[in-house]
Amino acid sequence: MKKLICMVLVLAMVLGLAACGKKSGVPKDALAVCIASEPDTIDPALNSAVDGGTMCSHLFSGLAKWDQDESGNLVITPDCATELVEGVENEDGTVTYTYTLRDGLKWSDGKDLTAADFAFAWKRAASTALGADYGYMFEVVKGYPDELAVEAVDAKTLTVTLNNAVAYWNELLAFPTYFPVREDVVSNEAWATDPSTYICNGPYTISHWEHNSVIVLSKNPNYYDADSITMNDIAFYLSDDANNMLSNFKNGTWKLIDDVPTNEIPALKKDYPTEFKVEGQIGTYYVCWNINEDILPADSKLTGAEAEQAKAEIRSAISLLFDRNYIVEQIAQGGQVPASSFVAMGMTDADGSQFYQNAGHNDGFTGYYDVSADAYEANCASAIETLKKYYDYDESTGMFTNFPTLTYLYNTSEGHKAIGEYLASALSAVGITMNLENQEWNTFLNTRKAGDFSVARNGWLADYNDPISFLDMWVTSSGNNDVQFGKGDNATVAAYSLDLTDLGYDVKVENGTWAETYDVIIGLIKTCTDNAKRYELMHRAEDLLMSTGCIVPLYFYTDLFMLDDSVQGFFSNPLGYKYFMNCTVSK
Amino acid sequence: MSSKTLKYVLKRIAMAILTIWIVITVTFFVMRAVPGGPFLSEKAVSEATQKALEAKYGMDKPLMVQYFTYLKDIVTKFDFGPSIKLRGRMVIDVITDGMRTSAKLGVFAAAIALVFGVVLGAVAALRRNGFADKAIMVLTTAFISMPSFIIGSLMVLILSVKLGWFPANGETAKGLILPIIALSLSPMANITRLTRSSMLDVLGQDYIRTARAKGVPPMKIIFGHALKNSLIPVITYVGPMLAYIVTGSLVIEQVFAVPGIGRAFVSSITGRDYPLIMGTTIVLATLIVIMNLVSDILYKLVDPRINLE
Repeated sequence: MKKLICMVLVLAMVLGLAACGKKSGVPKDALAVCIASEPDTIDPALNSAVDGGTMCSHLFSGLAKWDQDESGNLVITPDCATELVEGVENEDGTVTYTYTLRDGLKWSDGKDLTAADFAFAWKRAASTALGADYGYMFEVVKGYPDELAVEAVDAKTLTVTLNNAVAYWNELLAFPTYFPVREDVVSNEAWATDPSTYICNGPYTISHWEHNSVIVLSKNPNYYDADSITMNDIAFYLSDDANNMLSNFKNGTWKLIDDVPTNEIPALKKDYPTEFKVEGQIGTYYVCWNINEDILPADSKLTGAEAEQAKAEIRSAISLLFDRNYIVEQIAQGGQVPASSFVAMGMTDADGSQFYQNAGHNDGFTGYYDVSADAYEANCASAIETLKKYYDYDESTGMFTNFPTLTYLYNTSEGHKAIGEYLASALSAVGITMNLENQEWNTFLNTRKAGDFSVARNGWLADYNDPISFLDMWVTSSGNNDVQFGKGDNATVAAYSLDLTDLGYDVKVENGTWAETYDVIIGLIKTCTDNAKRYELMHRAEDLLMSTGCIVPLYFYTDLFMLDDSVQGFFSNPLGYKYFMNCTVSK
Repeated sequence: MSSKTLKYVLKRIAMAILTIWIVITVTFFVMRAVPGGPFLSEKAVSEATQKALEAKYGMDKPLMVQYFTYLKDIVTKFDFGPSIKLRGRMVIDVITDGMRTSAKLGVFAAAIALVFGVVLGAVAALRRNGFADKAIMVLTTAFISMPSFIIGSLMVLILSVKLGWFPANGETAKGLILPIIALSLSPMANITRLTRSSMLDVLGQDYIRTARAKGVPPMKIIFGHALKNSLIPVITYVGPMLAYIVTGSLVIEQVFAVPGIGRAFVSSITGRDYPLIMGTTIVLATLIVIMNLVSDILYKLVDPRINLE
């Protein structure tokens, strides 16, 4: 027994020693939050993740920034620039912006920040050689990717020329990819992995970084507006386990967590009514069809354009069989909004109204079909009537008997699985069999991109507030064209029509291919300088896209997170970025 | 050490190196055969960019050339290359960072499992069919049959969330206590049961009866004769136990947000970070091979009766 006691004592001592061996590098009053696990990179040019974007937005200051006005509305305000100027149109239709930098801008190591740093950073971020995921954010700038038309006229003046006027230009200036970096700093490829080499120009610097555990941001005394920063230290704890995040929130360690376990949502809403937050996010959760998948009955005689038009009608009808209110309320449960268009809620139209509310040009409801709860029965009835034109229908059982079996591909996750199961059950109610197949994330991306599926789960989050970010992904050559529009068999199918003569364009195509219609209208949008006309073109593009029935929007995403009641001054933007610099914590 | 033992040890080391080489080769080719790639993401990059990235990481060369370059770099320079996903970081740094914490977790868990396992096993054997024995057996059965992530989650729920005694993340040293305990319970229970049955076996041996008959004090019998000889089966278990702790910590690290190597391992696979997959696999495989080697050699040293051929 004595020995046992000895051993226990020794063990306790060893553990105690170990505890002394490591001190936390986190200041006591730091605001502890957890938005994700270790970011792949916090080099603002290379980052393409929301969590990395949040960190970069605290560490760097671009020409513009996201902020809150006095009444709490989100605004884009000048940051390093003295003002966000209007562009001057050149003779060739390009637009030049000339920015003046504030006085006394400095890097965190005390060196002066100049316009040349911006010019260097932008050229670097856009270059093919760097291979940044978000290099395409510079697509609007003349000379993209490798001859970018940005120039430092002198130490405080920066000019940049865009191909044409861009409505969301100021928003791009506040995007991390547009933040400045210094040439001598980034010449060290590992600069963004260690606090000692991480030279930045924003409200904070990195004071401590334990990889995979915590990144501590401390106020940067060299920031031009340091006096307005109320939160001295922020500790970004690094975890991607939603259950672990919740444990740390519940015991009061972490004040904000950016993820919650899906099955806990109902309980959290009830137990933490003021701390469970739902914010809008510009994104759409949808189902996509492979356009080349043959879904006509085996004995169908339709070919070519006729077959494609029939398939479009069938796919659109099937889309009506899904009860989006059920999905949102019973499965997703996070305040999502049933979707009836692809361009997400939160995108503004030419007149400042919501783009999605003007989509579809229908009376009585917004979008391309009615998603109100009352309309569901009528939707199903009309879908069945349409499908009867093509398939055998057994009136006594209410089932279709010769619909080919479908397979629904999704990436492994409880939430996606639950939605897949609902979709399959909704279809089986009318005699359509849809099997479920899940794949691990990276394999899934590969399969979906290659078009090796019949129906697949999909989702898209916008990077800036302009509908084009939802529309240009469907041009034939796009790397995100999962539906395979204009590819494979569909390349030669002349089933699409486009008439833009009423908008003053010499474009009238009847029964053209995808490349002759959709690719053309996207090209026109990208060069259009008349704002109202440009938005009308984008509505037309979405009309054409939705007429194929290949895109089946289910809901618009929301951003769910938990924020402790003691934290004031917090805000987030529609891209999901969280801002802590103006926070205070009441004891 | 006799020449026979030396020959055995050398043979085992050669086998170990061969095993590691096979692991490297199989991992390298299987990993590249799995669909997907490091440059795939929800938002696709352009083809020009993809080509530039492949050239940067030497992935534009034929696969066999890449394989031999990789082998050469490891053998001659111990160079695991840069991580593809964690831009700017070297694989070796990611591994060292993670191993520092994982090793702490593993060493303490193993120590606790051994010390408490042997003590509890001995107590159970000596109090056979008594209350202590029954209580210990019930607990060990529970610890063996419950997966470590369930024990871990229960501990977080009770000790961190409800009582607030321990943090639920492994950033500080205090935060490592719960994961260490969660990780040690299952091997500890195994060792307890092994010790108990082996001790019961030894206690029934003739030489113990002789010692008792000669009037040797009970404490001396237990510690001098019985316990020492009952530990041989425990040693054979040390190898598999350490392997369990290495792999088990992958799960525990997730539950407790411990910054160990487990997370780097899992995320490298989902992100197809080829150099990091290779690096972590090689390090973990080497660790397990070495542990088994040590346990085999130790076994021989403790019990000279064992025939090595």
